[in-house]
Parts: sequence; C-alpha cells; structure tokens
Amino acid sequence: MRFGPIDVEFILGILPFLFKGALITIELTVQAIVFGTFIGLFVALMKISRFKVLSILGGFYTWVIRGIPLLVQLFILYYGLPHIGIQLSPKAAAVMGLSICGGAYIAEIIRAGIQSIEKGQMEAALSLGMSYAQAMRRVILPQAYRRLLPPMGNEFIALMKDTSLVSVITMVELMRSGILLNTTYFRPMEIYITVGVVYLIMTTFFIYLISLLEKRLAISDGE
Amino acid sequence: MIVAEKVNKSFGKLHVLKDVSLTVQQGEVVVIIGPSGSGKSTFLRCLNYLEPIDNGYITVDGQPVGKRRLPNGRLVDDSRKNLYRLRSRIGMVFQRFNLFPHQTALQNVMEGPITVSRIPVSEAKARAEALLAKVGLADKAQAYPVQLSGGQQQRVAIARALAMQPKVMLFDEPTSALDPELVGEVLEVIKDLARDGMTMVVVTHEMGFAREVADRVVFMDEGSILEDTTPQNIFTRPGHPRTREFLSKIL
Ligand SMILES: Nc1ncnc2c1ncn2[C@@H]1O[C@H](COP(=O)(O)OP(=O)(O)OP(=O)(O)O)[C@@H](O)[C@H]1O
Ligand SMILES: [Mg+2]
Repeated sequence: MRFGPIDVEFILGILPFLFKGALITIELTVQAIVFGTFIGLFVALMKISRFKVLSILGGFYTWVIRGIPLLVQLFILYYGLPHIGIQLSPKAAAVMGLSICGGAYIAEIIRAGIQSIEKGQMEAALSLGMSYAQAMRRVILPQAYRRLLPPMGNEFIALMKDTSLVSVITMVELMRSGILLNTTYFRPMEIYITVGVVYLIMTTFFIYLISLLEKRLAISDGE
Repeated sequence: MIVAEKVNKSFGKLHVLKDVSLTVQQGEVVVIIGPSGSGKSTFLRCLNYLEPIDNGYITVDGQPVGKRRLPNGRLVDDSRKNLYRLRSRIGMVFQRFNLFPHQTALQNVMEGPITVSRIPVSEAKARAEALLAKVGLADKAQAYPVQLSGGQQQRVAIARALAMQPKVMLFDEPTSALDPELVGEVLEVIKDLARDGMTMVVVTHEMGFAREVADRVVFMDEGSILEDTTPQNIFTRPGHPRTREFLSKIL
C-alpha cells in the first residue's frame, strides 16, 4: 500500500527496529530526568544559599552549562575526555551530558519556584523554631513543587527531544536508529517522518502523564 | 522577661534602630505605636533574631538572642541550635498571617510541635484541637487557609504560635490586614491571652486596644523610643511633641 511517496509496508517493516531505539530514548530520558532533578535541586539550593561561595559556584554552573550548546558538551565528554585519559562509554557520556545540561535548566526552574514563595512563609517557619533545612523541607519545597510541575514538565519534554543529539556520539537511540536505517535503504522521507511520529507519540504521552500528576496534586491541595 | 539594651540596626546606609532599649516584665503587655517606617517591625523581628542586630544585646527569658556575651564582654554569634530553641519559645504573629497554605488549620497548628518539638502526633493533635477551640475555630480544623476569612486565618496563626507553648508572644500589626468587621474577633483572642498572663509585645494602630489592654505604651519614631509610659499618660498627657503630633493624626 502506498500514499504518494509513503510506502506503508516499508514503514511497518522498519518499526520494530525503531521501537528498540525508542526504548533506549525513553531510558535515556528517564535517567536524565532523575539525575538532572537531583543536580538541579542541589544547584538551586546552592544558588539561594546565604554562603557566598556556594551561590557563586551554583551561578557559575548554570552560566557555563546553559551558555554552551549541548552538542558541544557531548563532544567534549565523548571525544575530548579520552585525550586526558577518561574514556566514557557512549551510554555513560550520553546520560552524563543530558543530566548535567538538564540539571542546569532544572536548577533555574527550582530556584525561581522557591523564590516565588512569599518571604513570610520562611519567616513563619523560622519563628516556630525550625532550622533552615526543616523550613525548606516542611514549608517551602512542598509549596514550590506544585508550582514547579508545569515548567518542569516542559523541561522534561525538551530533554526527551534533546536525547536525539546523543546520536552523534554513536549512541543508538531512536534518532540514530533512523540514521542507520537510512544508510541501508536510503529512503529518508519515509524513515525520518516515521521517526518524527514516534517522538510525537512519546512526547504526547509524556504531556498526558504530567497533566495527570498536576490534577492529582491539585486535589490533595484542597483547592 | 525581655531585656533589650541599646539595639542598633542598619539596612545599608539606613539607620533603622538607634540605641533602642526596652524591658518587658513577665506577664506585661507592651504596645508599640509609631509612624510608618519608624522601625517597629524591625525591632520586633530583632527580638527573635529574624533580623540580626548590628550591636546591642537582647535576652528573652534570660537567654541571649543570637549573640552570646563572653566573660571578657565580647559578643559572639550564638550556636544555631540555641537560636532555634530560643525562637521556639517566642511566638510571632504577622500582619499577613503567613499560614502554610498547603496545610489545613489543624496541620498548621500541629506543624511546630511535630517538626520542632518532636512530640507524638496524637499529642500534637490533641494540643492543636484544644488551641483551635480556644480561638473559637474548633469547627474549622479541616479547612485550608484559602477557605478561611482573614480574621479566622489570624486566629489560626495565633493558635499555631501558641502551640509551641511560648514564654512570649510578639504581634506585628495583627489586625492591619483585616476588614474592619473582623478586627474585633482577633483582638478578643489577644485580650484573652493578656488575661491569662501571657507576656506580649504588640505593634498596633488600635488605640482602643492599647488603652484597654496595655500595661505600657511605647512610642517609636525614626528608630528611637521617645516615650515609654502608661496608656493613661500617653493618651492624656503625651510627654513628647512628636507623640502628640502622631496621636492627633491617628485618633
Ligand atoms: N529588609 C529591609 N531592607 C532594607 N530596608 C528595610 C528592610 N526592612 C525594613 N526596611 C526599612 O527600615 C525602615 C523601618 O521599617 P519597619 O518595617 O521596621 O517600619 P515600621 O515601623 O514597622 O513601619 P510600618 O508601620 O509601615 O509597618 C523603613 O524605612 C523600611 O523601608
Ligand atoms: Mg511594620
């Protein structure tokens, strides 16, 4: 069956191979989100710290990482580091690059979220005798993370799409699976449209998951 | 109960508190009045070290606030732990209530005892329920702050502060953010506390309240205490021309 330039049977034939790549893409995304969120929370707390050294270090991190294209960072990690004796596997370099980069953006989101909480909340918590850490954990972060969810969702989706960049460091995920198929069959139109549709399905599903989570939180909030 | 000696505080070039000294006895109610920007809130916040002071010395219930005096007279920063313990014994009520919006009224009141005092949940709950009943809100225990009126929120905030069983209560314009018809219910709760013998420092513009409840009224202007006397004195024969001017504007 054929629709213009699109050969449906051909596409059905390459789907299993693309799905394998898509699974790797999902795995990379989930790992980058988990590590990136840890890095992001850590860096955000550094940036708002009353210790100057920490806040400068945190600011330096987000400045550098957000100012250099992810592609360049991946090249440094995978092709640069071996020259100083550090050889990373494609997978390790991919997860590391995505987490470090995602972490910088997530840090900014978390910092903005924490700082959007009215100052009086921290003061009320401190006046009860809470330590800074207790106030963060019990009062500030629970309020912040409700506000964080929408921008975090956007960042997670951006991260999922950014995983396609790691195809350049020989990581066989969805994008590279498409490239490999194309070197064999040379049918770029059908192959890359299919790759695009698979990404679209994944990002759509992701958006749906996040909206579910937002609804759940809204209910537990009494609002 | 509270002793503040020559407290000074600046924000950058702005000298907000100038040699402020104040003593409050156990069970006394001291009302602080004064024009906007005179440093009333700042002084109150210094009393529990929400605002670190530049120099001077404050003790509450015999405990130094924020800075300890060494035997040789030098002042050094006190440990964080001591500061937290001290704050837990000083209740503070804010103009804008500052209830925790993600918690119910009951959870707000339980938060301090559970997180800070680490008492068992059942005990914290019993204490919180009793306090909500005391401020007339037993039936609102499960309500979130957004579902409460301003006056109700402020009463929950008072209950939250009382839950730590404080030695001293500080109020910073507790009724200024309220619609006029809600002021009374909050003042009633504060009056009850005065009757129970709670030591309190109250910043307010409610002169009727000051007249009725205060043991002493303190007038602050431009970072200094200009007058510290009985309500009767200050309202009938204010000693300082600035006090007279301020009172004539506000009464
Ligand atoms: N965190 C801050 N940083 C800089 N300046 C501040 C800060 N807090 C207060 N000030 C300034 O210090 C002065 C005293 O403020 P404060 O809030 O203590 O006055 P107040 O007597 O409570 O006034 P009001 O009746 O309006 O509440 C004001 O000029 C204010 O602008
Ligand atoms: Mg004030």
